[in-house]
Amino acid sequence: MHMSDALLSPVVGGTFWAVSAGMIGWSARKTAADSDGSKTVLMGVLGAFVFAAQMINFTIPGTGSSGHIGGGLLLAVLLGPWRAFITLASVLVIQALFFADGGLLALGCNIFNMAFIPAFIAWPFIYRPIAGSGDSPVRLATASIAAATLGLLAGAFSVVLQTTMSGISDLPFNTFMLFMLPIHAAIGITEGVLTWGVLAFIRSTEPGLLQTTSEIRAPKTGFVTASLFVAALAIGGTLSWFASSNPDGLEWSIAKVTGKEELASPDEHAHELLAGLQEQAAILPDYDFRHTDNQATSPNSPVNVGTSFSGIAGSLMVLLLSGAAGLLFRNRRNNSEAATQS
Amino acid sequence: MTDRFTIGSLHDSASSYRLPVGDGSAIIILAIFIIVVVSIPKFDLAGALAFAAIPLLLFTAAPVQLAPILKRLVIVSPFIAFMAAGNLFLDRATALTIASVSITGGMISATVIVLKTLLTLSTLLWLMAVMPFHRFGTALRSLGVPEVFVTQLLLVYRYSFLLAEEAGMMQKARDLRSFDGHGKGPVVTAKLIGSLLIRTTARAERIYMAMNARGFRTALAEQRPALALKANDLAAVAIAGTLFGLIRYLF
Repeated sequence: MHMSDALLSPVVGGTFWAVSAGMIGWSARKTAADSDGSKTVLMGVLGAFVFAAQMINFTIPGTGSSGHIGGGLLLAVLLGPWRAFITLASVLVIQALFFADGGLLALGCNIFNMAFIPAFIAWPFIYRPIAGSGDSPVRLATASIAAATLGLLAGAFSVVLQTTMSGISDLPFNTFMLFMLPIHAAIGITEGVLTWGVLAFIRSTEPGLLQTTSEIRAPKTGFVTASLFVAALAIGGTLSWFASSNPDGLEWSIAKVTGKEELASPDEHAHELLAGLQEQAAILPDYDFRHTDNQATSPNSPVNVGTSFSGIAGSLMVLLLSGAAGLLFRNRRNNSEAATQS
Repeated sequence: MTDRFTIGSLHDSASSYRLPVGDGSAIIILAIFIIVVVSIPKFDLAGALAFAAIPLLLFTAAPVQLAPILKRLVIVSPFIAFMAAGNLFLDRATALTIASVSITGGMISATVIVLKTLLTLSTLLWLMAVMPFHRFGTALRSLGVPEVFVTQLLLVYRYSFLLAEEAGMMQKARDLRSFDGHGKGPVVTAKLIGSLLIRTTARAERIYMAMNARGFRTALAEQRPALALKANDLAAVAIAGTLFGLIRYLF
């Protein structure tokens, strides 16, 4: 369910980056206030535990396929919201950097979908009220399954929203929802069952591990609502700013000075002469090939055939040059290192 | 699930590679590169192709092993392939015709999605291959990332390989005792993960005591102080940003 760089627009990706970075800063302040070094180490090792636990596969009954635990809700139960958020965010950063899950720009979306939602929505508003003290096995099971499923569904819904707002994918909102939600409901139920199994095992063998979070105060509803409101406001504001039909600053300035939004080309003899020379000399005049019958473009096409061809040809030239430059750089470096050693 | 810890370490080949720019500025340059690549319009194949020059330059200039990076790119590709296929099937309007072969808008936008993925992820993986993680942590400090988060990242990275080994051994032990798939269901697996969790917390206590004895209090910052960005780092960022802007403008 990792969001990917290639499906995001810079505006959506950047906005979620800002929201997630703000949440990391806020959570870091909350956890730094509690100067307990043992909890710092516990968070680090539990982050590593998530990677390790994801390696242990299990067979999904009746399907023949296998799955693994995600660990988001489990960490929220073990560490409480602030520390769980920091830990989950760090896991997502490592996944992005070393396993190419999502990418750097998509990290903001992924932290929001897979760290903010389990830590600040699923745990305090679904798991905790249902589970209570955790003594009742039925309540523990219901809480685990409900929180994991609804948390994953919320994350999947967020992925659909982010993709649709970015406008890179052609999948319509409804189709994408129909594809994502049933799959994530099934994954959520499995995650919930596994989380419940682990928590039940811990409760029977090391109940002390679960007592620490029962004392932690849940984040206030106002804080979570305010976070979501800020995110919505930032996204809405940024998107509407970029989608504005009003002229931009430069167009506005030009319109003020000249009465027109664009400057007309200078109609001078020298300019015409230079333009003519450029036409004669250029390999790809006007960054375009002359259209032939074999290269027809649909009238509504977003693609300009000539610009595309000349652009691709130019890009390939740049690729060749950069490859050659890289090899030269490597040889030069190897030579200088050999000279230093001798 | 593919065992991601067995596909090779990114650091094997070039862990001691010295970048021509500071680590902090390298991270900023990478972020600018990714934002510029992501901003390429969905039908601009030439624009996306031109930016392949940057990873090509990086991979030819620095001696990194390609195999682990390629494996990671292949593993993450199914979701991207699905999204690209969506464009391929949903946008069948002919965008252009070359020698009576129709090329649809979906074909072009799907190729751009795949290309953008390869560009952004390969560059990110390259940086991680040439920059040891402790240097990455120091660079994050210089960029103002909270110390709590930097310490967390360094600890997760340090112990993930260790615990993965332990989890691998537990899984192998279970598989050796399993016949005809018995004992591999969610109930037994939950107990296995629970055991791993108890071992993990016990390990965390031992690690904390050992670190405490060596002067650790709440953060690792004392060991590796942050280095502020210098003027030449900022100049490198400005030059790289201008170069990316120029490529984006020209193609």
